[in-house]
Amino acid sequence: MRRLAAILVLLLWAAPSQAHKLKLFASVEGNDIVGSAYFVGGDKAAGVPGRIEGADGSPPLAFTTGPDGGFRLGVMARMDHTISVESEDGHAARFIIRAEDLPPSLPEGKLMAALPETSQIEAAIARQIRPLREQLDAYESRTRLHDVMGGIGMIFGLFGCWAWLQSRRRGS
Amino acid sequence: MAHIPDGVLSGPVLVAGGILAAVGVARGLKELEPERIPKVAMLSAVMFVASLIHLPAGPASVHLLLNGMAGIMLGWAAFPALLAALLLQAVLFGFGGLLVLGVNTVNMAAPAVLAGLIFRRLAKDASTRRIAMIAALCSGGAVLLTGVMVAGSLAASGREFEAAARLVVLSHLPVMGIEAVFASAAIGLLARVKPEALA
Repeated sequence: MRRLAAILVLLLWAAPSQAHKLKLFASVEGNDIVGSAYFVGGDKAAGVPGRIEGADGSPPLAFTTGPDGGFRLGVMARMDHTISVESEDGHAARFIIRAEDLPPSLPEGKLMAALPETSQIEAAIARQIRPLREQLDAYESRTRLHDVMGGIGMIFGLFGCWAWLQSRRRGS
Repeated sequence: MAHIPDGVLSGPVLVAGGILAAVGVARGLKELEPERIPKVAMLSAVMFVASLIHLPAGPASVHLLLNGMAGIMLGWAAFPALLAALLLQAVLFGFGGLLVLGVNTVNMAAPAVLAGLIFRRLAKDASTRRIAMIAALCSGGAVLLTGVMVAGSLAASGREFEAAARLVVLSHLPVMGIEAVFASAAIGLLARVKPEALA
């Protein structure tokens, strides 16, 4: 029993570290959608097939994530884009880039030759805040210790309720 | 690996999984005497926590399941125990979807119950050392069967069985090994010091 207790303590100790759920993050840099796929906890999801679909129903662009889980694809028009990745073992994730996040220089289907200065600044800002947004996104999905403790408590609570119901039924 | 998210499986597979899970949970609760409820709760909590221990394995990311050990110790009560653990994993951490809860529960609990039945039959009147060995085989086998069932659920929803099965089963070979060692240590210990816990 002591060994079991020790194992349980060790399990709890490791709990807040990480676990797996596929996540996807993307943002806009110039005319490109740039992003990465990763597992909760930070491991990169490499070689996962994905696609980008425009809101206008044009044929989706396919891609495969690189060794660092990243991808970069140029888009042709300013509209909502849905990016989705799905690994073969059934993990999937989705991310939506809104039309207003894309540079105004992108008209319906036409690419402008040179970007005006303001959109270059916008692109530079987007590039710089991307790591921050990514970090926030990853932080939000991190497994936290109090969630783990709460979950354990809830499990015992659930089965406690069931035991109470059973005992009442037997008593009456 | 049993954390299939929503939106991957097809409708009929989800419904079938839901019905099978409901039957399993009902059977598990019916056979559950009040004295055994704390044991079920404890193993449910252990499985809930075990899935948070993450091992990088090639392109995927895997974690311990411990469903074989739960099946050996709980029998049919593994169904409600796993349902509670999976429900909270989905709600708190977003591991796996809510609509696929039935399929995920069956994929983990059916191998658990099977491992329990086989264990009970083989371990009857066996020596402690033999019991530990049988426990290792049963829990490793439960992980393997869960992998095959996950691939099967994907295939029944129109995905390719072979690619999914290869990826899921290969990435879980280390998990099978770890769980076999873990289960043989834990069950072997219980058989020696507290054999009534296995009944």
